[in-house]
Amino acid sequence: MKTGKQKVLDVLKNILLIIYAVFALFPLIWMILISFKSDTEVFTTTFVFNPTLANYQEVLLRSDYGRYILDSVIVSGGAVLVSIIVGVPAAYALARYNFPRKEDLAFQILSYKFAPEILVVLPLFMIYQKIGLYDSYVGLIWVYQLISLPLLIWVVRGYFEDISVEIEYAAQVDGYSWYQIFFKMLVPLIKPGLVSSALLAFIFAWNSFTFPLILSSNKVYPVTVAIMKYLGTDSAHYGQLAVASTVSALPAVIFALCIQKHLVRGLSFGAVKG
Amino acid sequence: MARIQLQNVKKAFGKVQALDGISLDVKDKEFFVLFGPAGAGKTTILNCIAGIAMPDEGVVKFDNDVMNLIDPAHRNVAMVFENYALYPQMSVYDNMASALRSKLYKTDEAEIKERIMWAAKTMKMENLLERLPSQLSNGQKQRVAMGRALVRTPNVFLMDEPLAHLDAKLRNAMRTELKEMQANLGSTCIYVTHDFMEAMALGDRIAIINEGKIVQIGTGDEIYYMPCNEFTAQLMGDPQINIVKAEISGTDKEYSITIKVNGEDVVMALPSDSGVYSKFSEINPDVVDLGIRPQNVKYSFEPKDGYFKATVYSYESIGNKSVIVAECGDYQLRMIAPNGLNVAIDSEVYIRFELDHAIFFDAEEKTYIVRYDEASFIALAAAKEEE
Amino acid sequence: MAGLTLNHLYKRYDNSGKKKKIKNDFAVKDLNLVCEQGEFVALLGPSGCGKTTTLRMIAGLEEITDGEIYIGERLVNNLHPKDRNIGLAFEDYAMYPPLNVYGNVAFNLRAKGVDKEEIDRKVREIAPLMQIDDLLEKMPVKLSGGQKQRVNIARAIIREPELLLMDEPLSHLDGKARQAMRTEIKRLINKIKCTTVYVTHDQLEAMSLADKIAIINFGVLQQFGTPAEVYDDPANEFVASFIGEPPMNILETTIINKEGTFYFTFADSNLQIEVPKRYYEVVSDGFKCKMGVRPMDVLIGGPDSTGTSEQIATFENLGDERRIGIRVGDVLMMLITEDEKRYKRGDVIKLEVRGEKTHLFDIETGERIREKN
Repeated sequence: MKTGKQKVLDVLKNILLIIYAVFALFPLIWMILISFKSDTEVFTTTFVFNPTLANYQEVLLRSDYGRYILDSVIVSGGAVLVSIIVGVPAAYALARYNFPRKEDLAFQILSYKFAPEILVVLPLFMIYQKIGLYDSYVGLIWVYQLISLPLLIWVVRGYFEDISVEIEYAAQVDGYSWYQIFFKMLVPLIKPGLVSSALLAFIFAWNSFTFPLILSSNKVYPVTVAIMKYLGTDSAHYGQLAVASTVSALPAVIFALCIQKHLVRGLSFGAVKG
Repeated sequence: MARIQLQNVKKAFGKVQALDGISLDVKDKEFFVLFGPAGAGKTTILNCIAGIAMPDEGVVKFDNDVMNLIDPAHRNVAMVFENYALYPQMSVYDNMASALRSKLYKTDEAEIKERIMWAAKTMKMENLLERLPSQLSNGQKQRVAMGRALVRTPNVFLMDEPLAHLDAKLRNAMRTELKEMQANLGSTCIYVTHDFMEAMALGDRIAIINEGKIVQIGTGDEIYYMPCNEFTAQLMGDPQINIVKAEISGTDKEYSITIKVNGEDVVMALPSDSGVYSKFSEINPDVVDLGIRPQNVKYSFEPKDGYFKATVYSYESIGNKSVIVAECGDYQLRMIAPNGLNVAIDSEVYIRFELDHAIFFDAEEKTYIVRYDEASFIALAAAKEEE
Repeated sequence: MAGLTLNHLYKRYDNSGKKKKIKNDFAVKDLNLVCEQGEFVALLGPSGCGKTTTLRMIAGLEEITDGEIYIGERLVNNLHPKDRNIGLAFEDYAMYPPLNVYGNVAFNLRAKGVDKEEIDRKVREIAPLMQIDDLLEKMPVKLSGGQKQRVNIARAIIREPELLLMDEPLSHLDGKARQAMRTEIKRLINKIKCTTVYVTHDQLEAMSLADKIAIINFGVLQQFGTPAEVYDDPANEFVASFIGEPPMNILETTIINKEGTFYFTFADSNLQIEVPKRYYEVVSDGFKCKMGVRPMDVLIGGPDSTGTSEQIATFENLGDERRIGIRVGDVLMMLITEDEKRYKRGDVIKLEVRGEKTHLFDIETGERIREKN
């Protein structure tokens, strides 16, 4: 039985949520709209215009856009892969073993995420120049660890901590070696956390702008930086820019939709544990 | 199956000395119970035997082979963990099969199935085999954990409070089954519990553990009738034994004791018993702690000859019988009464001790001195030993 | 005067949102209960039987599907919990961690705006009663389980509620502490004489604490009576097997007539027990029913006993007592003895049953079959 007062409240709550949804989604919708407009109509029309695919043809077929996407995939994917290989054992160690200054170390790893990128990128630029990592895949994958590794370690550590240590003991007593236990028992249990944090790390890496802007130029050209190309010094092709942005945002949006269920759980997990 | 020995095992966690020189010799095919309060170190002993914990000092032996450096997988022990430690991603069936599917203890699937079906039937959980642990109640999880151990043929079964989370009814039924099962399997079993009924009912021998040390080892009867100190006496028995400070007077012809009840002296003559009398004339104590079990304290609601007066503190059922607690000033006395009496709180009650069941403890050291009928209980314990 | 009246109380959970329709979706079904002023009533039943739901409905934390709840003479169906004048002591110690014990106990009164001296007087009055006087300055995290529980109850009763509700307040405590706390609660309630409803799944707790026990199963009241009544005169098989530890032996039996004497006989067993004369009017030759007898009422006969000889299947020495199991068909019939004799598996004893303590139950419904008066 709901009283009249409660019904009014429900309606109000929904209206508020709708307003927020419009507010949050509007930039995305606006960008997609622009991507179908010709350069002339960008400034003169709002919702009513003659849709055109010219921008898409220009960006996707007549520029190097495919290469930029591929670069982004390589550096982001590479970064996540390295993070998994290094991060999962690190997370296990942080969850299971006691060693001096453990919490300090864990916090230090997390603190990599605190520093503004622009602060570290300048010294990194000098160092990269010196050691020859500037404008290379390895260099970018390396620096992307600052983004993906802390996230992955903290989320996965929470998952490891949630597995009672007796399960490992039980498996030992059952006759399994440590590696068998790790891959057969533990990995399946941390999978939701691992997948969601890896995908989230991928999205963050994908969206990264400062690092590739400064630490790469010609050979490696991730899509976030490449978008700038469409903002020339003399003319701005807003339509093409919108296309480039839309296409580059796609993986992030798709991933986010796929993993949203795990994501909330995985991250709130880490939050509670941390 | 194997004989399990621990020699002077010590283990510390940080500053806490969890085990402080534990020596045990568990015979082959013996059902051995580790009994003690929470935090006594019982689980740590099991972990040392399983190889999960490494002793800081001392030796763990299986059949005279030193096992200290053998990893848990190669010790061939089956363990039931208190928090079940089921593999969450596997069905009940796969959980139970896991040890038999490992490389070390590889068994063919038909055999595995047969053993699981047998274990499932004994543990009354045939209908649970397809479920995941998350779909089970605590009692069911516990049974699965037991089943996972029972399908194996290990050197020793290590069981950590395997019945603790079952409800009373199922716990009783399982306890009865478990004893029968162990006898049939002919396996060595080391069993941790804090429930004295389990300890008494299951253990061929019981080790009382407290603060990382062994307090007493013996058969149930030995420990129940001749507890080595007041701590053990209080652990064994529910409701726990009454311990009252008593002054001894008299000569070796006739002793009597004096206890204080609500400030007044109550004198009771000690019945003649050669063991008690000769012990008293030997050590001549002024004061002793008198231990008397609740079933040996008799009550009356009318004044009676030989009864002293106290007030009822509480009256409550403990199942098939009830306990009257009487207030006696510095201490309270527990006594057994039938269910369904009409006892008003704070009313008067008259009490008599059946002193020919009394156990005497040193008032300072709290250690066992002597009890009535000691010789017959020693004989009883010896008879059990021979079996 | 009634302290609490439940009148045809129903609770139905709305399952429309769930994929699976639950067949019996009444959590509580037609519950009628009258607790007298000052009475201590235990709601007892297995987990999921609806006892906590009932308590939450009384507290006003759960909506009522149908029926009426009266606290004293007031109909409280539509009252907010805070207006029902009840004290709650719930399973999880919901203490406010930043406040010390004093603050926790005083919290309710402060919220009501009672003046400081009055609060202080009341806290000081109740503290010795609950034996928390030396804990008042401590923080909740520093308290042991038993202490927390005492503070919790103090907090509930400081508002001088008309009705005190407790939900498994002892379930967090371990054996010894639980037993001690049980005694404390009993004495306390005895002192303050507040009508109390106490939810538990532990029959021991209910038996030892309550003036009256309401046994609930599947949302339906099975029996409401004093501990002695539910123990000695159970309404049905469920109550009989739920109350008592170890539980009552309940065996399917066929009654036969041998030369004018009726006997209980059992499948796959040569055990025969004479049917007490008082049942002669309700039984007949070939009558099938269930027989219940408590383990205390099965005895070991002496050498000249007329009882049936039976082999011992299990023998447990529990120190204070010994339990013997006899296989009757596929049921293990338990008996308890304080006899000092040590038996072994396979020993033969003569079995005697106290006929006057046997109960008969309908084989289908489990309802009690009573002798005619």
